[in-house]
Parts: sequence; structure tokens; C-alpha cells
Amino acid sequence: MSADNAYAVELKGVSFKRGSRSIFNNVDIRIPRGKVTGIMGPSGCGKTTLLRLMGMQLRPSSGEVWVNGQNLPTLSRSDLFDARKHMGVLFQSGALFTDLDVFENVAFPLRVHTQLPEDMIRDIVLLKLQAVGLRGAIDLMPDELSGGMKRRVALARAIAMDPQILMYDEPFVGQDPIAMGVLVRLIRLLNDALGITSIVVSHDLAETASISDYLYVVGDGQVLGQGTPEELMNADNPRIRQFMNGDPDGPVPFHFPASDYRTDLLGKR
Amino acid sequence: MPKKSMIDRIGLFGRAGIDMVSVLGRSTIFLFHALLGRGGIGGGFGLLLKQLHSVGVMSLVIIVVSGIFIGMVLALQGFSILSSYGSEQAVGQMVALTLLRELGPVVTALLFAGRAGSALTAEIGNMKSTEQLSSLEMIGVDPLKYIIAPRLWAGFISLPVLAMIFSVVGIWGGSWVAVDWLGVYDGSYWANMQNSVTFSGDVINGIIKSIVFAFVVTWIAVFQGYDCEPTSEGISRATTKTVVYASLAVLGLDFILTALMFGDF
Amino acid sequence: MQNRTMEIGVGLFLLAGILALLLLALRVSGLSPTASTDTYKLYAYFDNIAGLTVRAKVTMAGVTIGKVTAIDLDRDNFTARVTLQVEKDVNNLPTDSTASILTAGLLGEKYIGISVGGDDVVLKDGGTIHDTQSSLVLEDLIGKFLMNTVSKEAK
Repeated sequence: MSADNAYAVELKGVSFKRGSRSIFNNVDIRIPRGKVTGIMGPSGCGKTTLLRLMGMQLRPSSGEVWVNGQNLPTLSRSDLFDARKHMGVLFQSGALFTDLDVFENVAFPLRVHTQLPEDMIRDIVLLKLQAVGLRGAIDLMPDELSGGMKRRVALARAIAMDPQILMYDEPFVGQDPIAMGVLVRLIRLLNDALGITSIVVSHDLAETASISDYLYVVGDGQVLGQGTPEELMNADNPRIRQFMNGDPDGPVPFHFPASDYRTDLLGKR
Repeated sequence: MPKKSMIDRIGLFGRAGIDMVSVLGRSTIFLFHALLGRGGIGGGFGLLLKQLHSVGVMSLVIIVVSGIFIGMVLALQGFSILSSYGSEQAVGQMVALTLLRELGPVVTALLFAGRAGSALTAEIGNMKSTEQLSSLEMIGVDPLKYIIAPRLWAGFISLPVLAMIFSVVGIWGGSWVAVDWLGVYDGSYWANMQNSVTFSGDVINGIIKSIVFAFVVTWIAVFQGYDCEPTSEGISRATTKTVVYASLAVLGLDFILTALMFGDF
Repeated sequence: MQNRTMEIGVGLFLLAGILALLLLALRVSGLSPTASTDTYKLYAYFDNIAGLTVRAKVTMAGVTIGKVTAIDLDRDNFTARVTLQVEKDVNNLPTDSTASILTAGLLGEKYIGISVGGDDVVLKDGGTIHDTQSSLVLEDLIGKFLMNTVSKEAK
């Protein structure tokens, strides 16, 4: 383990290209350990790509991805397998395995990474489900669950191995207020109770700002701003202001690029 | 929209050609990784069993019903054509040879592509779009080994078995029509058949054909699902592609194999 | 519970496949389980084997006693040399037996029929049947028929 104990995840000079399009250009991001960090930005700016880069689902074109003191792109396959034990990811759609019931879904990482006996696995699964409030749903199949319940089960699965880092990909999208409240509470609770580092990628300003200790605003392939939620609310950068205030027009324009309005209207007759 | 010039059209053709080659390359790497990479079949025997059930056993109904009907039709048509030569007694060998050499492997492969192949593509495409494949990767399980490989092997095993069952029920269906209905002598039906059907020539060649088809159809079905756009539109396009490409591949390979096996003129 | 039915289902499926294979082998292609290694070799030379193929049956009095295993051209005599494998228990074929190429049915396949002669000496492994009758070629038959008709009319 290196000396970067203050930061659980560090992206140093990371660039990522898809084909010829550059999605990220020389980005530096530091996620402080033990806190909830939000990564926000307008849709399509590549927030989810950042998460995937942190989890080594995608390889950066250049740069280093340091997670828990290891530079992920340089790891061997078996080292990467071990490193994944300490990361949990909650995907936007929950991504439960549809042919397994709730118990088997949560038990899945345990079966992959450990050789624990069945009764121990059962205990751990019950614990995790209790933490998210779904212990009673243990025998149901994923298609019998509501969207919010699916996400909570996916969360239980993400924490099954007691990871040190939890990543949330757009957890608040399309949730009703109650489900939203549940999730917000869970994210904060888990972070504090288990002492883990949480990274929340979202474009839902209010909720993310309410639970994050630190925020990054990303856009145009780079970091536009970072700081605590209060700092960003009062930022000078017009792009950050537009995002934080929800202004419909500003650096991100209202009108899709088009030719001159007058010539369009009058010209075609 | 600006009109496309000739150069643009030629460019499109070129791009389509290059795309095809790159798809071929991608799908080959995909296949090797799934079948030959470290780790055997992920999930062990249990997953293979499950896939054999959903791919093989669930296709039995359509295969058996189609086999019986095709065998009966063959006998009917064969009888009417052969009686103009006075050779109705040869209907047994006609039905058997047609089924064993051609219709058994080919029709089974086409039905399989439509039923099991499209189901595989849709299932895998759905898993891709709901990020289940990504989840597996993040947990540290290789989706090519855990999801794809069992389905590939299940297809390789199921299709030849289904083809054999198809031929058998077809021959028996043919015998019901020929012997019980049209009055061909029971002995002639079977004896002529046994005299002209060779195990190593006809039966084995038919099985070889169905193994080749199994490989191609399952490979296409599984790859299309894995490679599709993770949207519902992408999945439905991929499913269509599976059925079309697999069917064309089967028919094309059938010609090549038939020429190789039976074409020594 | 769901697992058990699935396992049973797959097991039955594979059993059905094996059964189909057996049926195809035995009933459809007539593969006989008795090993046909108890045979001995005989040769026969024909002027014309038109239509005879390898694996055609060899019969005597209509009963199958063997099969044709090879057909080659004898370059010295420009005749066809047919190799027959005959069952070992049919070991009393006289050396002056006749091998004829016959047709099964009107459009059927060619096969070899052996009719016995009267010699005391019997054919052994590697022996040759000298008295042979070639295949009936349709064109020759028609030619003969036409010639007969013409000569009849000429009378």
C-alpha cells in the first residue's frame, strides 16, 4: 500500500478516447477516503465512463488509475480479481441477475470470491438484506420486485463483500420521493457505519449535494470545478453556475446549432 | 439531404466491407476467449445443464412436430412421384435418405436458429442492456466464461441430438403414411431403406453436418446478443440478424458440405 | 425441486438422442451388430461392371452371403477386377461357380449373384471366380431388340 491514504481513488492525468472522440482529456480526480463524493455534470458528459474507468471496466488511453494504493491498469488478471473484492458497484438499473432469486443474487459475490460454508453465507446475506431493509424479500425473484426494491437488493449485493469503495451510478434516476429518501439515507448510513468511501455519479443536483461531503463538476472532457457543495454554489465559473442553478441558457446553450432564423423562415419559399 | 455522389456510395461499400471483416474478427476473438480461455466453463456443470434444458429440451416440441409432418409429407409426395415409375416400394429409402442427408440437419438447424437462436440473442442482449454483464465483470466474473460459454456448449450438443431425433420421427411419420395409409408393404419400406442407407455414409455424414451447423448457428446467436446495441431496438435488430445470418450460413454450408460428402462424381 | 425436473429433462433429452442414434444405426441403415470379420476374399473379373458399386451385396440363391469391397481396373487384361468378401461359413463354393451382375428390380441397384458349378475343388481365400457374366447394359439390350425386330421383318 502506498502513502496515498487520504485518497481512496486517484485519477492522474487520465485521458480516454472512444474511436477518434476524446471523452476525457488529462483529468485529475481525487476521491477522499471515508467520505461521500459526488461527481456531477450534464448528461452525456461521461460521468458513467469515469466510474467504469475507476473500476477498470474500461482502460484509459493514458494516465494512471490508483485505487487503494494500486495502479489498476498495470495489474495482472489475478491481482485485478482480488482488487475487485474491495469495490462494490451499484448500476443504474440495479442489474440483478434475472434468473437468480434475491438470496442467490446477494450471495453471488460471496460464492465467487470465498469458500465460505452455506450457513455462513446465509447469515451474511441476511445481514446485508437487513441493512437495506429487504430481509423479507429473500426468496423473491427479481421480476417480482419494484424498481426501488431492485436497487436496494443490488445495493445489498454490492456490499456483500464489505468493500472499501462503493460506487453509485445514477442512483436517483426515476425514483419516487419515498424511494429517494430511502436511498439517500442508505448511502449516508452505509458510508458512516461501515467507514467506506462512496462515490455517487448523478445529475440530480439536490439529492447529491445534500449527501456529498465533496463534489466534482465534470463537463467538456475535464473537471470544471470541485469543492464542498457550499463552495460550488458560490462558484465563479459560469458553467458551474448554470449547472448548480439550473439555468436553461448559458454556456450550454438552449438552441441547438442552426442556421439563421430569418433566412430559414423566409428563404425556402 | 445532400445527394450522395458516386464516390460516397463506393466509400459506403468499402466501409461496409471493412465493417464485415472487423465483425468477423471480433466474433472470432470472442469465440476463442469464450471457449479456450482459462477457466473452462464458468459456473461448472450446473450452468451447462441449465442451458441444455432451455436450449435443447425446450426445442424438442417444435422439432418433433415438424419432423413428423415433414416425414409424412415426404412420404406422400414421394409416393405420388415414384408411382409414375412403378417404384412405390422405394419410398422408404427416399424418405430416409432425404431426411438423413439433407432435411434432418438443415431443417433442424433452421428451426433451431429461429427458436433457440433468437431466444439466446434476446436473452444475452437483454443482459447487456440491463448491465448484468457489467455487474458480472465488476464482481470479478468473466461474462464470456460464465454466460456465453455454457450457452455455446449447450448449442453444440443439442443441435446434433435434435437433428437425429428429427430424422427418426420423420422416418417413422413417413412409415405411417406410406405403410398404414398408402399401402406400401411394411417389409419393402424398411428393407429397401436398410439396403440403401449406409451408416457411415449417410447417418454419420448427416451428424457431421448437424455438428457444423450447431457450431455456426450457436456462435452467431450468442455473438449477436453480446455485440448488440444495449437498447430495445438494438436487441430486436440483433435477433433478426441472428435468424437471417444463421439461416443463410446454414444453407450455404449445406451446399459446400453436400458437395464434399456426396459429390464425388 | 425445479433443479431435479431440469436434470431429469436434460437426461431424458440426451437419452432420446442416443436412442435415435441407435434406431438410425440398426433399423434405418441396417447395420448388423454381428461383426463381419469372419469373411474371406475372392476375386472375379468382369468385362463390364456398369452400375455395380462397392458395398453391393453378394448373394447365392437370393441369400446375401457377402459384399463387394473393391472394384479396380486390371490394366493387363482391360477387365474389371471385383473383390468380394464372403462369409466364412460359405466355404464350399466350387471353383467353377459363376458370378453374374444382376439388377434388383427394374431400376434397382446392381448386385452379384453366385450360382454353383459342379467341381469338387472349392474356392479358398484369395481365389478367383473365372466364370463371370457382365452387367446388362440397357443400350445393348435395346440394340439386340432392334436387331431382332429388323431381322424378323426382313424374313
